[in-house]
Amino acid sequence: MSTPSSALLPDSVGDIHWLASISQDFAASLSMAETLDNAIAQIMVYMEVEAASIFLLNAEATTLTCQACAGAVDIRGLSVAAGQGIVGRAVSTGQAQMVRDVAVDGDFSKKIDELTGFQTRSILCAPLQVKGRMLGALEVINKRAANACFDDADQQLLQALAGVVSLAVHNARMAEALVEQERLRRELDLAREIQRGLLPQAPIGEFPVCGINLPALEVSGDFYDFFALPDGRIVWGLGDVSGKGMNAALLMAKTISLFRCLGKREDDIGRLLATLNDEIAETALYGMFVTMVLGTFDPASGEVRLANAGHQPPLLRHADGRYEEFELAGPPLGVLPGMGYEIVSFRLGDGRLFVFTDGVTEGYREDGTMLGLDGLQAIFDAHARSTASEQLAAVAATLQAGGRRLRDDLTLLAIGR
Amino acid sequence: MRDGVEITSRKSGDFDWLGIAGEVDMHASPQVRKALLDALQPKSALLVDLSAVRYMDSSGVACLVEAFQTARKQGSRFALVAVAQPVLNVLRLARLDKVFTLYASLDEALAGGG
Repeated sequence: MSTPSSALLPDSVGDIHWLASISQDFAASLSMAETLDNAIAQIMVYMEVEAASIFLLNAEATTLTCQACAGAVDIRGLSVAAGQGIVGRAVSTGQAQMVRDVAVDGDFSKKIDELTGFQTRSILCAPLQVKGRMLGALEVINKRAANACFDDADQQLLQALAGVVSLAVHNARMAEALVEQERLRRELDLAREIQRGLLPQAPIGEFPVCGINLPALEVSGDFYDFFALPDGRIVWGLGDVSGKGMNAALLMAKTISLFRCLGKREDDIGRLLATLNDEIAETALYGMFVTMVLGTFDPASGEVRLANAGHQPPLLRHADGRYEEFELAGPPLGVLPGMGYEIVSFRLGDGRLFVFTDGVTEGYREDGTMLGLDGLQAIFDAHARSTASEQLAAVAATLQAGGRRLRDDLTLLAIGR
Repeated sequence: MRDGVEITSRKSGDFDWLGIAGEVDMHASPQVRKALLDALQPKSALLVDLSAVRYMDSSGVACLVEAFQTARKQGSRFALVAVAQPVLNVLRLARLDKVFTLYASLDEALAGGG
């Protein structure tokens, strides 16, 4: 065997140059698979071995699968149990493994040789890890030169290579996660856009019903809707789906669609609410339910008729500033089919009727105090001479003051001029 | 700081008893949901003691609704016992007190038959 000073030194300088060039390849690469294939081919030639391969652990860390290889046989996609063979030993111990004669190593698994017809004589294997997290292993097999064995210099080089490959795998995975995050982000944006499209368009001119909806997250479980019937009456509704996020948004989409469709056909609003209840109860999942107030407003006579399914009481502000709450309500939609809902009716006169979700009364003002019903009434009073939509905007501004993130979806509906 | 939730269960003759204590919010409700659904056996009777619940949000209410619906499908008896005031306020506001079977005490629940 040659002495370290004469044999290793020139090689080492070459090794460093070669390692640097492989690192640059990784840094410049966008495709992990291509880069690993390219690197493993270079490793086979440079280290003068018959075969080289990279095995990576699956997400559960139960199996090792060959992701890249070079040599006489293609074993990409081939898997072994995480603790199996020399590669498994490198992964489970976190130590490089040098086996000069596999015939005398009890851990050597003949499985791959039997499958491929390849004959393994010696193995050098280094674990791939980043910040203590095991990723897999890098393996080279059979020195090419006759009777040549793996030595410490080979092991040092392979371990250095393992560090570079580990970082490349780690970076590629981070990049993949970012791409996936970006894809989900785009889907959420699309869902939000579609959901906004389900809410009514701002009416043109002076229309006696208006509403606002501000989601706390990307999508909302709250909704409001209104539309005019051929006889001039306006059907309106506001609802709140239990829970938040995508499941609430999907049930919101179902409820608002049913409301819009059935509301044009069913004249009796008590029966309309009962039908909505039966439809939602039929396919209810995870105990999700919807609280909802819906009704009609006849601009000609000023008559309001409303029915309530478990929602907090609608609030009437009379023209003289007095408030009146309508407590009558049945259970929320979707809990139990076959419910009946009673109707309340009254003349609006010059007053305004407000319907809102608990995100409004339980929302926070800039000083950190909860708005409450008193606070909400105080805002309505302060803007009593403004239009209804200006009153709603004032409530939203109060709850968003100081750029605070909303705790809950915020939805209000106002009926009356 | 949330104190979380504590769930105890026991079997006593004809019925299963589940006690829920603490704050049932978005973080605790998956645990409450699992306990309720695990305790519900077909053709059984489940009494849920809510006397030590200090706070319940709509995700907690959804757990009770799902358990109620599951019991109904299974032909099981499901009732809430000694419901603490904060929970009662939430159930009353949503008119769910008209849907659920509520008993003031365990004795009353047992006398309630079923």
